Amino acid sequence: MAIKRDKKEEEDGGNMFQNLDKTSVLQDARTFNDTPVNPRKCTPILTKILFLLNQGEQLGTTEATEAFFAMTKLFQSKNPVLRRMVYLGIKELSNLAEDVIIVTSSLTKDMTGKEDLYRAAAIRALCSITDATMLQTIERYMKQAIVDKNPSVASAALVSSLHMSKTAGDVVKRWVNEAQEALNSDNVMVQYHALGLLYHIRKTDRLAVNKLVARLTSDRSNRLKSPFAFCMLIRIACKQLEKDGGDYSDSPLFGFVEACLRHKNETVTYEAAAAMVNLRNTTARQVSPAVSVLQLFCNSSKPALRFAAVRTLNKVAMTHPPVVTSCNLDLENLITDPNRSIATLAITTLLKTGAESAVDRLMKQIASFVSEISDEFKIVVVQAIRALCLKFPRKHNTLMTFLSAMLRDEGGLEYKASIADTIITIIEDNPDAKEIGLAHLCEFIEDCEHVSLAVRILHLLGKEGPKTIQPSRYIRFIYNRVILEIAVIRAAAVSALAQFGSLCPDLLPNILVLLARCQMDTDDEVRDRATYYHYILSLQEKGLIFNYIVDPMQICLVTLEKSLAQQVQEKSSTKFDLKSVPPAAVVTMTEDTAKEPVPEGSISTVPAKAPLIQSTVSSYAEKLQNVPGLQSIPGVLFHVSEPVELTESETEYFVTCTKLAFPNHLVLQFECKNTLSDQLLENVRVQVEASEGYRVVKEISIPRLPYNETHNAYVILQFPDQLALTVTNFGATLRFIVKDCDPTTGIPDADDGYDDDYMLEDVEISISDQIEKISMDKEAFDRAWETAIEDGFTESEDTFNLPGMGSLEQAVTKVVKFLSLEPTGLTRIADRSSVMLCMPGMFRGGIEVLIRAKLAVSNNGVSMQFTVKSAHPEVAELICAAVG
Amino acid sequence: MSGFFSRLSALFGLKKKSVKVIMVGLNNSGKSTIVSLLKSDGDKNSEIVPTVGLNIEHFRYQQVLFTMFDMSGQGKHRYLWERYYKNCDGIIFVIDSSDRLRLAVAKEELNLLLKHPDLSNRKIPILFLANKMDVREALSSVKIANAFGLEKIKDKPWHIFATSALTGEGLQNGIEWFTEQLSQGDVYT
Repeated sequence: MAIKRDKKEEEDGGNMFQNLDKTSVLQDARTFNDTPVNPRKCTPILTKILFLLNQGEQLGTTEATEAFFAMTKLFQSKNPVLRRMVYLGIKELSNLAEDVIIVTSSLTKDMTGKEDLYRAAAIRALCSITDATMLQTIERYMKQAIVDKNPSVASAALVSSLHMSKTAGDVVKRWVNEAQEALNSDNVMVQYHALGLLYHIRKTDRLAVNKLVARLTSDRSNRLKSPFAFCMLIRIACKQLEKDGGDYSDSPLFGFVEACLRHKNETVTYEAAAAMVNLRNTTARQVSPAVSVLQLFCNSSKPALRFAAVRTLNKVAMTHPPVVTSCNLDLENLITDPNRSIATLAITTLLKTGAESAVDRLMKQIASFVSEISDEFKIVVVQAIRALCLKFPRKHNTLMTFLSAMLRDEGGLEYKASIADTIITIIEDNPDAKEIGLAHLCEFIEDCEHVSLAVRILHLLGKEGPKTIQPSRYIRFIYNRVILEIAVIRAAAVSALAQFGSLCPDLLPNILVLLARCQMDTDDEVRDRATYYHYILSLQEKGLIFNYIVDPMQICLVTLEKSLAQQVQEKSSTKFDLKSVPPAAVVTMTEDTAKEPVPEGSISTVPAKAPLIQSTVSSYAEKLQNVPGLQSIPGVLFHVSEPVELTESETEYFVTCTKLAFPNHLVLQFECKNTLSDQLLENVRVQVEASEGYRVVKEISIPRLPYNETHNAYVILQFPDQLALTVTNFGATLRFIVKDCDPTTGIPDADDGYDDDYMLEDVEISISDQIEKISMDKEAFDRAWETAIEDGFTESEDTFNLPGMGSLEQAVTKVVKFLSLEPTGLTRIADRSSVMLCMPGMFRGGIEVLIRAKLAVSNNGVSMQFTVKSAHPEVAELICAAVG
Repeated sequence: MSGFFSRLSALFGLKKKSVKVIMVGLNNSGKSTIVSLLKSDGDKNSEIVPTVGLNIEHFRYQQVLFTMFDMSGQGKHRYLWERYYKNCDGIIFVIDSSDRLRLAVAKEELNLLLKHPDLSNRKIPILFLANKMDVREALSSVKIANAFGLEKIKDKPWHIFATSALTGEGLQNGIEWFTEQLSQGDVYT
């Protein structure tokens, strides 16, 4: 039979829709205009249109509108199959065609008519063509439909209302009573959808949600019947519990979730158990009933339940170890489960929680079937191993061997990357494992088809290899890549070689030979790098090598490129000053980047990564280029401060200020939002009262600010010549012309408005708005600090007492935040009595600043010795003074 | 195809079985009410609300099956009428004869309709219904015909009837004339 069908498909050319042509299908759609309508002909044509749309074919507005209007003629036919296709067609075309409201009355008729087949689908189609302004005309019918006796009609109306609430929340809010009534329906789906809508309407109002949940949970015996609604209610309850915080034990919500553990329906029971173990801040006693439910599920005969239970346990293994330990016995049984997914999850869960002695046995178990499971589950295994290595460092040998075996197997990039990541983590965490790990990685890159991984590993070898006992053994592996691989990898290998050359003086002559050979490479980038490194290394000058290979300068590349282009264009005779370019944004270690192979790696020589670091400064600079009147500011944008709110949120007008520092100018960007629906604001500008020394160069106003829109107004100021005057406060007032308008259409009632103003909070210009952080490691800072005086820096020093500081930690955060700089080499300070902060920075105009603050706990608060070194004496003084 | 067959059937003197008619006129002139009256199959909507877009209705009068495109008369939707001009076999233009103020508006809309390229060269019947004759200050059909300058329409058969959609008075005569026109004329030229 199957063969026969295959044959037939071959004859037909497989998919009958495969070679459809948009133009000819739309041509066919003209058949819709014939009288009488022929459903047999029209239905396949509609199907073809839908197929094309779903394949991603783009219809122009005219085409779509034409097809849509042809389709409206099909309402003549009463054929239910054709009508259903028409509904689908309307939904698909509703976003593309114009004047789709033409079918409103036809759909309303179907939705209220006698034919049940039409009604639900008509509601869905109707809601897709209705926008907020038209909703009022169908509101009455929607309300009726929500409480309709027919469950499919009621469900369709409820779900459509949920969709509509995105665009017309206010109208949908009025349907609460109907939704309430639908909640009492006997149908499981209607109940579920009604609860969904009710929650959606109220979800911003915490009290209302509490009330809703409380009412539904109190007399649950006769109200909710639908298991889906129960699951939803459990989720809502848990969200509320997390929000409320505090102790759960006497909360009625927690009591409700617990009671759900005894529900007849397995779905509800599982949902409750999973919710309880996922709750934060629960005690062991509180979750124990949930655990016993999961335990029960582990022994269920249904694979779905076993899988659900073991997956939940796996997820919470790290957060609630005691929960999982009590299920260990059941998990042991699941290791041999015929379903491999269940077995994998069981083993990895055990690995996460088990004792050191069990590791070898479990690893053997996994090895027996690792080749049979999918990549996705292999990653789960790898992550379990990673956790294990951190827990039992002594086991690294077994685990590393296992990992390297996995590395050699077939697998996708994500899988391989997770293995490499794990090995790298182990290397960093455990110095004993470093040599073995690097050896495994070297072997891996010998035969690695993923370019990005190879580049990463080469970079790591360059960083870590020179510090090992016998660096020379890695050279062969790296140079092999230069001979055998594609250009990207060759370039990375050349960089890695240079690292060896700069850090291992005895290898230098050999490296120079190798680099000289690389200069003959066919690829430009490789050749450039080789030439660059070869030249610097052959100079044999310590300082140069350090600054340009080991710790190259951090500069915002995008801005550098722009300023160089400008320099060339202007053909100015002055020398290009590298210091006028802002330093690269410091990559702070967030959770995402923490996974990167080189956590200390904001210093990155890998070319593939460099373009990714697009700093906020350059993105702002680009934006400012598009604002007329702002291009004329001389110099490049140097620093962008965090936005500050100048109004309370929830007020009539919402204004935030971002300070943008240029070498000699300060641009204040005011983001203004109009939250009044019955006002249109025009000529909106911010007037600042510049303090002494500052000069307002230009004001840029917003011509039109309609309701709920955010636009930017700008004020350009010139910094005072006298640096001491730069730290100050400005008074600010929002000035505008108000025009009252119709809240729904936004069209003003009258042509002329009246002037009005609105007081804003003061704009504070602090020292941190004029300093950009640069990243430097501790060694580099120390070197710079030592040589600073020789380089002509001036020093300014002062001692302060910081009263009211409870702890050292608090004081450090305060100081760092005040200067908004990045302290280098800051270690844990929780249990120390004194700390030294080293903060390098760059003052506007490219003046280097080095700040050192020694903080110590004294009897009355924290005392601080604050030292600033800067190439410009005034700057050093200013910073010192500003801190006081 | 269908044009060919209908021509053939016209030759043999058979009556046309099915026609497409569009119904236009200003809002609140009573179009939907007339349609619901014509349907006369018992399931009349007790309540008529302003039409948004269009309604498509079927009814049979004598041997002819009417497919009625009842268009919305609201100002913002009137530009949608022309989308349905192309394939229609006849036009019913409903006028609120008690609304003197907007007679000029209705006349303007009629002129636009007559000038439309999809209609100007076709000899299709137009039925004018001077509706709401039950209202006391309603104008007579003759006055409306004069006000509209209907006598200038030379290329299309037309007729005007005073009707009341509430009582159904006059409607019967109008539809009878209209049906006759539709079955005679070869509308596909």
